[in-house]
Amino acid sequence: MIRLYHIVKSYGEHNALRDVSVHVERGEFIYITGPSGAGKSTLLKILYGAERPSSGKMLVGGLDVTALDRERVAQLRRNMGIVFQDFKLLPRRTVADNVALALEVMGAPRDQINRRVPAALNIVGLKGREGSLASHLSGGEQQRVAIARAIVNDPAVMLCDEPTGNLDGGMAVEVMEILQAIHRRGTTVLVATHDQGLMDRFPKRVLRLLDGRLSTIEPPKRRSVAPGVGPAERG
Amino acid sequence: MIEGLRRVVRGIREHFYFFVVSTGVVASALVLLGLFAMVLRDVNAMVGSWQADQHVSAYFAAGVTPEVETEMHALVAGRREVAKVERVTSADAAVWMTERAPELAAVFSELGPAALPASLEITLQPEIATPEKMEAFVASLKIQGTRPDGDGVIGTVWEDVDYGQEWVARVHTFLSLLTALGFAFGAATGLATLFLVANTIHLVVHARQDELAILRLVGATERYIVGPFIVEGVMQGLIGGLTATVVLYAIHQGLLVRLHSLLSLAMGAAPTFLPADQVVVLVATGVALGAGAAWGAVRRFLARLP
Repeated sequence: MIRLYHIVKSYGEHNALRDVSVHVERGEFIYITGPSGAGKSTLLKILYGAERPSSGKMLVGGLDVTALDRERVAQLRRNMGIVFQDFKLLPRRTVADNVALALEVMGAPRDQINRRVPAALNIVGLKGREGSLASHLSGGEQQRVAIARAIVNDPAVMLCDEPTGNLDGGMAVEVMEILQAIHRRGTTVLVATHDQGLMDRFPKRVLRLLDGRLSTIEPPKRRSVAPGVGPAERG
Repeated sequence: MIEGLRRVVRGIREHFYFFVVSTGVVASALVLLGLFAMVLRDVNAMVGSWQADQHVSAYFAAGVTPEVETEMHALVAGRREVAKVERVTSADAAVWMTERAPELAAVFSELGPAALPASLEITLQPEIATPEKMEAFVASLKIQGTRPDGDGVIGTVWEDVDYGQEWVARVHTFLSLLTALGFAFGAATGLATLFLVANTIHLVVHARQDELAILRLVGATERYIVGPFIVEGVMQGLIGGLTATVVLYAIHQGLLVRLHSLLSLAMGAAPTFLPADQVVVLVATGVALGAGAAWGAVRRFLARLP
């Protein structure tokens, strides 16, 4: 699904990523972890086209996305769901409007939007909150809206940059459970986090970055409780 | 199309305050520009009336016969530099002078009808209003007036040819200054308008940068993002332009017309409101400014976004 070959990202003298090579299989759930400044967010930014690698090659679904122009980056992002620590919602818009945004930019017809937005909200447990303003929601609810927006167009890949960073323990677990559920639907999920507790609670393959280098690739400590998880089960 | 308009309406509704402020700034800037255009028109009209007033008085020498006066009248009237020429007899001049200075009536009565010289009052074409051209015209007029007298001596039919040299020079200097000031003020007004509108819309776009970033993240293309901003800019320009027209009309009726009635002698022709084609240009300028500023500001922000 995602292939990174010798990715280097430099900002002047500073190397944020050094020779990172990773293969992520379709339907996999992967943690990208490491201390602050290790390069987790940079790696995700390269994956969704916000940064270009200084050198190396990256394939997503077989397509070389190393040096896409802006139009193609937009196309790439339509096939990805992206979730951030700070939610990135439009506070003056309703929950439904925020979720619909991902479909509107694709030019989806209104009836499709009206059908898919409630379905996505249902997955994240916000059914019935369509009309609420995003600014009136709690942090956990806002992150669920962001997740609903990320999955509403049924993307092949979901990238989450510290999705639980702004949430307390209970909320963080809820959000992780939603991500697990989305993964079980077949979506490839990459989560950048430094929350070891969550990684222990929801064990998956871990890519550990240290000073821009991929130091270890750890296999899951134990299998997920959910059936059909991971590429092995999918064949 | 409908979806696009829906997004425009939603954008205006969500940021109505910014929309009103931007429209107000566009309107204010266009009022500034329109005032300049209006004043320029009136000054041009005033200067035109002054130029039309440039004339030469050619006084006939004593003893010039009416036949010669008639001949000179015809000669001068035939010259291409001359717009109009009027023959004033000694008697006409005395009447004109007596009307303006009644206390001199007794003096004129004593001196007789020939006290003042007959003259040709010549109005020149507007393009002959420079001091050099007027001087050349007067010199040629003097040559045209030379005649051999009975004794074979060359004389002239003119007692004096007066064209108010000082006045012409002053008007010319004033016009040069006015032209330079007009250009400078026009350029300053244009730049101020551009600066005001561009910066206001830039600030408004800045206030919506989160929205731009989010649209970009969910896969919106540049055209998708820029489109509604341009339509909003067009609307701001259109509404701002129409508002400016109404404000300018009010200023024209309430201030310039009254000012003219107070200073009618100095201002010459009554001030006129901008003609329809200039109003259209003003509104179109607003539309172009609004759309251009929005396009530029959004493009600049998008270029900075990852």
